Amino acid sequence: MAEAEVLAVAGSWVAAMLRSSTPLMMVTLGETLTQRVGIVNLGVEGQMLCGACVGFAVAAQTGSPVLGLAAGAAAGVLLSLVHAALCLGCDANQIGSGIAVFTLGLGLTSYFGRAVIGGRVAGLAPLAGADYVSVPFAGPILTQLTPIALIAIAVVLLAGLWLYRTRTGLNWRIVGESFQTARALGIQPMLVQAHGILIGGLLSGFAGAILSVDYTQTWANEMTKGRGFVAVGLVIVARWNPFLVLPVVLLFGLSEAATLRLQATGLALSPYLISCLPYIVCLLCVVVVSVREGRIGGMPAELASVFGRRR
Amino acid sequence: MKAASKVGFVAIVGGCATFLVAATIFLFTIGQPPLATLAHMAIYAFGDGYSLSESLVKATPILLCALAVILPARLGLITVGGEGQLYFGALTGTAVVVSFPAQPMFILLPAMLLAGAIGGAIWSGIAGLLRAKCNVNETISTLLMNYVAVLLVSYAIYGAWKDPTSLGWPATIPFPKAATVPSVFGTRVHAGLVVGVVAAVVLHIAVTYTRWGIALRVLAGNRKVAAMAGFDFVRQTLLVMAIGGALAGFAGICETSAIQGRLQAGISVGYGLTGFLVAWLSGQHFLRAIPIAILIGGLIAAGDALQLYSKIPSASATILQGLLFVAALGAGGLAGRRNARHG
Repeated sequence: MAEAEVLAVAGSWVAAMLRSSTPLMMVTLGETLTQRVGIVNLGVEGQMLCGACVGFAVAAQTGSPVLGLAAGAAAGVLLSLVHAALCLGCDANQIGSGIAVFTLGLGLTSYFGRAVIGGRVAGLAPLAGADYVSVPFAGPILTQLTPIALIAIAVVLLAGLWLYRTRTGLNWRIVGESFQTARALGIQPMLVQAHGILIGGLLSGFAGAILSVDYTQTWANEMTKGRGFVAVGLVIVARWNPFLVLPVVLLFGLSEAATLRLQATGLALSPYLISCLPYIVCLLCVVVVSVREGRIGGMPAELASVFGRRR
Repeated sequence: MKAASKVGFVAIVGGCATFLVAATIFLFTIGQPPLATLAHMAIYAFGDGYSLSESLVKATPILLCALAVILPARLGLITVGGEGQLYFGALTGTAVVVSFPAQPMFILLPAMLLAGAIGGAIWSGIAGLLRAKCNVNETISTLLMNYVAVLLVSYAIYGAWKDPTSLGWPATIPFPKAATVPSVFGTRVHAGLVVGVVAAVVLHIAVTYTRWGIALRVLAGNRKVAAMAGFDFVRQTLLVMAIGGALAGFAGICETSAIQGRLQAGISVGYGLTGFLVAWLSGQHFLRAIPIAILIGGLIAAGDALQLYSKIPSASATILQGLLFVAALGAGGLAGRRNARHG
């Protein structure tokens, strides 16, 4: 009996962890791919907001969560076009351009998002109906998770395989390591970088839509609460490797699920203090890997000029 | 030199033109007459004495936060932490007022302002320390710490510092008269603006004409050469981050004391981010940041006025800021590239 209880608790923890880390998984993967081609995009936060807002609005209008998710991804791509145009078309500074994109996304969503505040959408159906809730361990997972979590995991694994096992993936890695070498090899590095930025936009918009349509099922101003910036930090922790994105984000999701559980147990600690934890955990992780920077490696060389250890 | 100033001119004109076109398209999209609305905004920003004073009120924290970006930028650091430093400065400054509300003005006011500045310096100094000692990217750490500082303020005003007589509204006790930053010209414009302008001038002189300025320039250029010349990167990083943070923290406690009159949520409407924009538009130049901060302050004040009179949500001001930033980056980047090709 006790064993069954332990299994049920473990199952609900796994479910909570997967649910809260699914959006983060997608946005971290997107930023990883963008940075793999040598571009930093801090605008992911704004793109996520756009995806969340547009995805929610479309899902509420049409009643279809799938359409909402698709629209959110498209909105992320549209906003990332601004970053691509500024960085690649105009040679603008990447950090500055990212903050500009963030500002734009923040303004646009708080302006046009007013129309959908307070609306409700029906999220995706869970993997299994309520009948299965008593199945040990798998029960809570199957009844609480939606297909989106599995899709996200599959996308991360496929992206890793693609990056390390295909010709185009190799081309992307070459561009990230050396723009000039890529050009000499006949790869069009600018085009690859544009693709990298747009894929990042697609995945961050998708992540935002997952957050608003599937996870919270509501829209609020600035609802992403810095998840995009957290993702930029986690990319460093995951050493720009899509395969490592999975464990890093899941561990992070576990800490988030733990804080939610702590709040639910009626702990005397202020919810505002507990809400600080994700940012502090992310920062600490970045500190730990940054100290060992030289020994671990993994940073695409083209990033060093924008982002990394300067001389 | 002549070619460079020509490039600057092209960038400014091109950026302004791009911004006006983008703003027109945006206003047209939301169903407002573009030219009339832009004209209204100019009037709401600088049309009369009251509008001007409101614009200066907004410009004050923006200018201070911009200085907090420009000084580290002189060392090659990109910080986006103005918002967090502002909030943390407000928190530490308020701690003094909440702890000793009955002290006379000549003790309480300086102690409060000093505590605010120190708070901002600590918050920014943490990011500086992580950068210098642990090689942590300062952009990421400051962005993350922004969220923590805002949450800490919420923790204080919903928790221990909540005024029991405020009927559930999350805020501290109203600041006593002895803890109110004096205003100037009989308007809401307060002494923070004077401090901001003086700080900009002093910093400009310091980085342009002193040995310290040379140290920053050499360190930003080549750290090995700087080390041979005896310039210490760790110490300078901590110094510029702490001074910048102190200015942003000072902005936070001024905003709390002079404008809000108590610590409550939303003491800043993205002033930190706007300060980053101003720093960038000024080309990381202290003196140029003053007029630009006033212009952007006017834009935000006009956004508030539009919300009041024309029922256009003030978020439109954020969108216009974003468009301005995009236009400036685009035009600046293009002009720079042309320059590189021809010169």
